[in-house]
Amino acid sequence: MYLTHLSLTNFRSFARLDLEIPRRAILLVGSNAQGKTSLLEAVYFLAAFTSFQTHADRQLLHFNTVREAKNQVSVGRLTADYQRGTGKHHLEVRLILEPVGVGNGIRLRKEILLDKVKRQAHEVIGHFNAVIFAPQMSQILEGGPDERRRYINMALAQTFPAYARTLSEYHQALTQRNALLKTLNEKGGNSEHLSIWDEPLTRLGSQIILWRIQALQELEIQARRIHSQITRGKEVLRLVYQPSYEPLPTPAGQISLPLEFPVDRSGLAPEEIRRGFAEKLEKIRAEEIARGQTLIGPHRDEVRFLANGIDLGDYGSRGQIRTALLSVKLAEVAWMQSRTGEWPVILLDEVMAELDIQRRADLLNYLAEAEQVLLTTTDLHLFTPEFIRQALVWQVQDGKIAPQNDPAEEE
Amino acid sequence: MILPDPLQKLINALERLPGIGPKSASRLAFFLLRSGDDLADELAQALHGLKERVAFCQECFNITSAGREHCEICDDPRRDSTLLCVVEDALDVLSLERTGGFPGKYHVLHGVLSPIEGIGPDDLKIQPLIERVRRGGIKEVILATNPSMEGDATALYLRQRLEPFGLRVTRLARGLPVGGDLEYADQNTLLRALAGRQEMD
Ligand SMILES: Nc1ncnc2c1ncn2[C@@H]1O[C@H](COP(=O)(O)OP(=O)(O)OP(=O)(O)O)[C@@H](O)[C@H]1O
Ligand SMILES: [Mg+2]
Ligand SMILES: [Zn+2]
Repeated sequence: MYLTHLSLTNFRSFARLDLEIPRRAILLVGSNAQGKTSLLEAVYFLAAFTSFQTHADRQLLHFNTVREAKNQVSVGRLTADYQRGTGKHHLEVRLILEPVGVGNGIRLRKEILLDKVKRQAHEVIGHFNAVIFAPQMSQILEGGPDERRRYINMALAQTFPAYARTLSEYHQALTQRNALLKTLNEKGGNSEHLSIWDEPLTRLGSQIILWRIQALQELEIQARRIHSQITRGKEVLRLVYQPSYEPLPTPAGQISLPLEFPVDRSGLAPEEIRRGFAEKLEKIRAEEIARGQTLIGPHRDEVRFLANGIDLGDYGSRGQIRTALLSVKLAEVAWMQSRTGEWPVILLDEVMAELDIQRRADLLNYLAEAEQVLLTTTDLHLFTPEFIRQALVWQVQDGKIAPQNDPAEEE
Repeated sequence: MILPDPLQKLINALERLPGIGPKSASRLAFFLLRSGDDLADELAQALHGLKERVAFCQECFNITSAGREHCEICDDPRRDSTLLCVVEDALDVLSLERTGGFPGKYHVLHGVLSPIEGIGPDDLKIQPLIERVRRGGIKEVILATNPSMEGDATALYLRQRLEPFGLRVTRLARGLPVGGDLEYADQNTLLRALAGRQEMD
């Protein structure tokens, strides 16, 4: 799929931006602080309805818009036309800042319209797909487990239609269950009441575990293939899913399986996982009450990345981590494409500067096949003349975007 | 601009009503201020009498006029006393009554279980329900809480509590949109849901 038009109003430093976007590689060139990353952030927001840079949507609104919101309703807007298969679609997101009552501060509300009809985020997610790769994403490998869960969730939500909704319902059940555990911990009471929250927690949780098993297995196959090409066969990359509730039998006295051994959870039936999860919860009831929270489940899942058996999060070198991340990201593209039958729009922020010459060439080769790629750089020299000839080069300066050359027109 | 205190109080109170945002609250308050006729007075009187003149049925906890012990439905000898429909609030009784398709009696819980809001079984009319069932004569209980997560959890809890009595417990769910309230379901949907109620397993 590919974007044909994008317009932004009061998004980051763009007071107003209108862009016709062709179906090809577009190279956004500009010095620091001109709006390159912000543009990619906007496109990704239309796919995930959350920013890859911040949890606070308010930061996405232009400073002036936030300032005005003290006295009036003010709006930031992202709209896109895109082509998916043979269909043309229109997507709009409104970020609405409005005063609460009188003198009670302001709040932000999100409205999403697909083909002019208002929808919930979980209904729209997956209609327009994008994969983003930025240098700070090495956090996926190096950061805490919540970084990895967030990453996996954003990829899966775009790919499995019911994932986003199931995940949000799971968190609703989790919040209720945690509230009850906290009450039981502080005030005591009948712990049998927990079982009614075990039901939605395990029903929704087992579904999420099942999707993660499936997705990580498929992602690993792609990542291993790509990583082997990129490292010229020197490294074997593995993605190891470590569900916090382990549905497979574990060695006596251990809650998880050892990292080193490949495990196959693909044969597990949904009902089998659900029942096991529920039984496990029964067993740890006393401990959960003592701690006042739910101790196992998808909200505590972990994924580890291994190269030649070595855990990259703990022992990876800078270069190894960058390369592995490149493989994982390209695997995500390939996986999404095989699952949905459509190329996602690929967004690469300052990625070239981080790679050596060989890896750059590999990446550019790979991108030549993609439908639409938006790349940012401060330095055009990082790209080969061939690539620049095929791509469209746009100059980004002070929140404005202007074509620098269009080889297609010169021919 | 700072609003006069009474106006600000009214806006804040209106805003606490379900479905009313800050904007509509301000709009309503200013409307009441402007309205020339006796609307504001009538409203004030109606609100004032609300709690005194409306009571809850001591049998099913549906609303009834003050001074009556039982509501019209509980007092109606033509209603089937062996069939009991458990709902979240009195508005649900109204919706089901409008279909004209339910011959039995009701039990109003006045809410659903929600640990986040601190609502446990003792905060709902669950114990009186158990007492009603214990007194005998009821053959089937239909659990008609909304198909939300909290509604489902409440139904599950009630099923566990009712199990020892060995009566038929069914769940009203099919045909209702997931996450949809009984209150908003149209009459045909409700009738279909009543006809297709399922055994809880
Ligand atoms: N909410 C906002 N309102 C207005 N301006 C903003 C907002 N958020 C960020 N900016 C500004 O937008 C500018 C562009 O930021 P962006 O990260 O897109 O730049 P960039 O071109 O990617 O730069 P670099 O090459 O340094 O990565 C920055 O100067 C930043 O201060
Ligand atoms: Mg940048
Ligand atoms: Zn009654």
